[in-house]
Amino acid sequence: MSPRQPPRDDDPEDVLQGTLDMLVLRAIQHEPMHGWGITDRLEQWSEHVLQLGQGTLYPALYRLERQGLIESEWQVTENNRRARYYSLTAAGRRRLATEVASWERLSRAINLVLKAART
Amino acid sequence: MSKRSDDLDRGLDEEIRFHLDQEIQKQIRLGHSPEEARRKAYVRFGGVEPLKERTRDEFRPALVQDFFRDMKVGARMLTRTPAFALAAILTIGLGTGAATAVFSVVNGVLLRPLPFPESDRLVRLFQLDGSNRRNNSVSGPNFEDWQSMTRSFVSMARMSFWGPVAVAGGAEPVLATTTVVSKEFFQTMGVQPAFGRGFAPDEQQLGGVPAAIVSRAFWQRSLDASPEFGRRALRMGDRAYAVVGVMPDGFEYPNGTAVWLARELNPPDTSRTAHNFQVIARLADGVRLEVAQAEISTVSRGLKERHGDGTWMSDAGIVPLLEQLTATSRPALRLLFGAALLLLVIAVLNVSSLLLARAAARRRDFAVQLAIGAGRARLVRQLLAETSVLCLIGGVIGSVTAAWGVRALVVLGPRSTPRLAEAHVDWTALAFALGISTVAAVVLGLLTSLGARDAHLSSTLSDVGRGGTLSRRGVLTRQTLVVAQVALTLLLLAGTGLLARSFVRVLAIEPGFSLDDALIVDLTLSDGGSNFRQRRIAQIDGLLERLRGVPGVTGAAMTSGFPLGGGNYANGQFFEMATADEFKSYVDILRLGPAAKERAGFAGFRVTSAEYFRSMNIRLIRGRLFENTDTTDGGHVAVISESLATARWPGRDPIGRYVQFGNMDGEQKSLRVIGVVGDVREITLEAPPVALLYGFYRQRPNSVWRVSFVVRGPSPETLSRVVPQLVRDVNPDLPFQLRTVRQAFDAALSNRRFSLLLIAVFGGAALVLAMLGLYAVIAYLVEQRTREIGIRMALGATSMDLLRLVAGRGVALAMAGSVAGIGGVFLLGPFVRDQLFLVGPGDPLVLGVVAAVTVLASLTASVLPARRATRVSPVESLRG
Repeated sequence: MSPRQPPRDDDPEDVLQGTLDMLVLRAIQHEPMHGWGITDRLEQWSEHVLQLGQGTLYPALYRLERQGLIESEWQVTENNRRARYYSLTAAGRRRLATEVASWERLSRAINLVLKAART
Repeated sequence: MSKRSDDLDRGLDEEIRFHLDQEIQKQIRLGHSPEEARRKAYVRFGGVEPLKERTRDEFRPALVQDFFRDMKVGARMLTRTPAFALAAILTIGLGTGAATAVFSVVNGVLLRPLPFPESDRLVRLFQLDGSNRRNNSVSGPNFEDWQSMTRSFVSMARMSFWGPVAVAGGAEPVLATTTVVSKEFFQTMGVQPAFGRGFAPDEQQLGGVPAAIVSRAFWQRSLDASPEFGRRALRMGDRAYAVVGVMPDGFEYPNGTAVWLARELNPPDTSRTAHNFQVIARLADGVRLEVAQAEISTVSRGLKERHGDGTWMSDAGIVPLLEQLTATSRPALRLLFGAALLLLVIAVLNVSSLLLARAAARRRDFAVQLAIGAGRARLVRQLLAETSVLCLIGGVIGSVTAAWGVRALVVLGPRSTPRLAEAHVDWTALAFALGISTVAAVVLGLLTSLGARDAHLSSTLSDVGRGGTLSRRGVLTRQTLVVAQVALTLLLLAGTGLLARSFVRVLAIEPGFSLDDALIVDLTLSDGGSNFRQRRIAQIDGLLERLRGVPGVTGAAMTSGFPLGGGNYANGQFFEMATADEFKSYVDILRLGPAAKERAGFAGFRVTSAEYFRSMNIRLIRGRLFENTDTTDGGHVAVISESLATARWPGRDPIGRYVQFGNMDGEQKSLRVIGVVGDVREITLEAPPVALLYGFYRQRPNSVWRVSFVVRGPSPETLSRVVPQLVRDVNPDLPFQLRTVRQAFDAALSNRRFSLLLIAVFGGAALVLAMLGLYAVIAYLVEQRTREIGIRMALGATSMDLLRLVAGRGVALAMAGSVAGIGGVFLLGPFVRDQLFLVGPGDPLVLGVVAAVTVLASLTASVLPARRATRVSPVESLRG
């Protein structure tokens, strides 16, 4: 996965989009965060492997909110700036759990295939 | 909604700006120059504008979902302030409930189509005389000419409503409402018998086979719902009618008819001045009412030209059947519907001021939301969602209440209201409830956001520290709402007052007779045989004698037309004659042509027993009353009412004059006036007395068949235990009904009582709501001015001063509302004039009392919170 390039308008990335959604949900699993915080956190956690085209984040956030998986609220940051904070809803929590489970199944399967091919 | 406002709404611009700023700072921290950091941040973010476009795409279809989410949030907010929510929901429920209940009745009685196919095409036709007076009855020849000379109608039928007729041959003798109809009737109505058949040709000709068609209710009640009804014959008078058909359930036109007979069995009516028929017609396809009206008018004027004095008809009118049936109920229902809508408006205004008070408490909320760019539209939407939750729950409660309310209205409502019994909360009424709830929600949402605008005007966050205060403008809005509530309440109270005063005026009417409670026996005499006159007299004498034999009875009498409705009220033209036998018959005088007019008079014709006037305490003014020595053989005698005496013989003595009234009962013997008695109120209490001529039953039994007996002495309860047996002793086949004089008065007053009761309930509810609203505003002002009050007390103001200061505001508001309300009374008064009796819509006494009640109630509502002001401790308040 290398979304280093800025995303093109004709994103052929249904799978990737699903993955991005999962990552966003994961990022805010334990505490509400604003948009920039989410990109920053994903970069750090992935040891800077995942460098999101940051602009792609917002459509995803709005979509997730519309689907009722996350909700947002304006809050004041430590630096006294106003920012929109996103947090998981109960539905979002359930979605995250199933996404993670199926991702793990998938990656395990892929790993098995890769190992089998080596022997 | 435009893209731009969407962006503003979501605060997307600001969100992106924040993001970029954060990124720039991060890049600076990583050691880049500010310029370089900025460039990097933008590159890493990607194109801003395409992004916004995509985000909008995600956002746009979400409006509806958003609204539901807002409603969820709204519902959550409401559960946080349950007392407020309950008060608001109940108030809206009260308003919508009252309006929906009255609407259901209006819809059921006035609007719902009649249960006939294409019933909106059905019309009634009536004659108009030279002075444009309406005569619902039409003569046979005029009807036939209408029928043959007009083209606006597919079919036209005539009917002759007989009212209750004694019918034997069923399960037991009953009074069956009977109508004689012409052969076009069922086709015109578009309804055919459900079982059996319509009349056959040989049942629709002179001297044909007597046949009857019955209503389903009659078939079930009196023919045991037997499928072999064809074997049953109904005996009416000296004829036996075979039952040939049963109409579908609910078809009882006209007027609850149970038995229909064919008119053609009887000889045709050849007199153009004998008005025996009601005419119903069905408009031809595509013919508008006005066109039909123009045609029938032209035809009728042509008939007048051709026949001159041979017909009383100068013109003709047309009215849709539904309108004709509901004409008498319409004004009262219109008034009550208006009152219910007023109550609804008051309820909405009341909740609106509650919401404004809460908006004040939530101002900090609003201010924060506005400050961080939530956008006004967003705020309005949130408020609308909240008021929608309120009003929809209120509307549901209202609909449920309405279902009960309608049942109460049906029970309490006047019996004379057509179709009232069938009124219920149906889909139309539910749609109405939903409609008014929605309108209420929108009005409330907008009014509240008007108040919430203040949040923006003074939206510095520091300012909201105190929380819960309204700006000057918010206070003004609340006060305006209170004034409006008081004004509308005063309107309702004035309506109540005017109806109450009218009611009192009606109660004060001298009906012209006086009876402590007495029993009335309504009875239809049995007729069979050729010597029916003797039979009638014998039955009357037999019953009178038995009634007088009951221990304690002090009076028993018979009349063909008991006052206050329900009698057999025939009215017509009579002629005065110089001697007892100047002319042999009524028609002989008619032949005089214009010269007959000199002799003509108009009066109602009633037939009574000798003791009638004494039993009813009807005053004898001149001459004498009937004696049992006035026999069949001697000259016929008549007693007339005072108003007939002054109308026909002003300033002259009517005693000893001869009158020919043969068109009333076919008896051509002249009547000699022997006495003048006081007037009585007959059809209603309110209507001025009708000129009456009374005949004596032994001399004029021809038209005596539906009669009422009045029995006084023992209590009606005691009497009603013994009377049925006495009636059966006279003739076991006589159908009868018992009622008391008190019930007769109740029935005569029921319309007014119903309107008064309902509007009084509405007015009372309105007053309570308005006073609660006023109380809340004053209490709020007191709270807000605690500091000021403290200072005043510190400066030596007495409790009285403070009371005056605070309560004065409430009273001032109430006065302003009262003045506006009185203005409204003068504006709307003309619309209720037809419901008033001897009271003008601007009656000073009523308006004075109502204004005084309003202001006094306001004083109470203001003094309660004001007293709290006097207990303010100066020190506390200044510290706070």
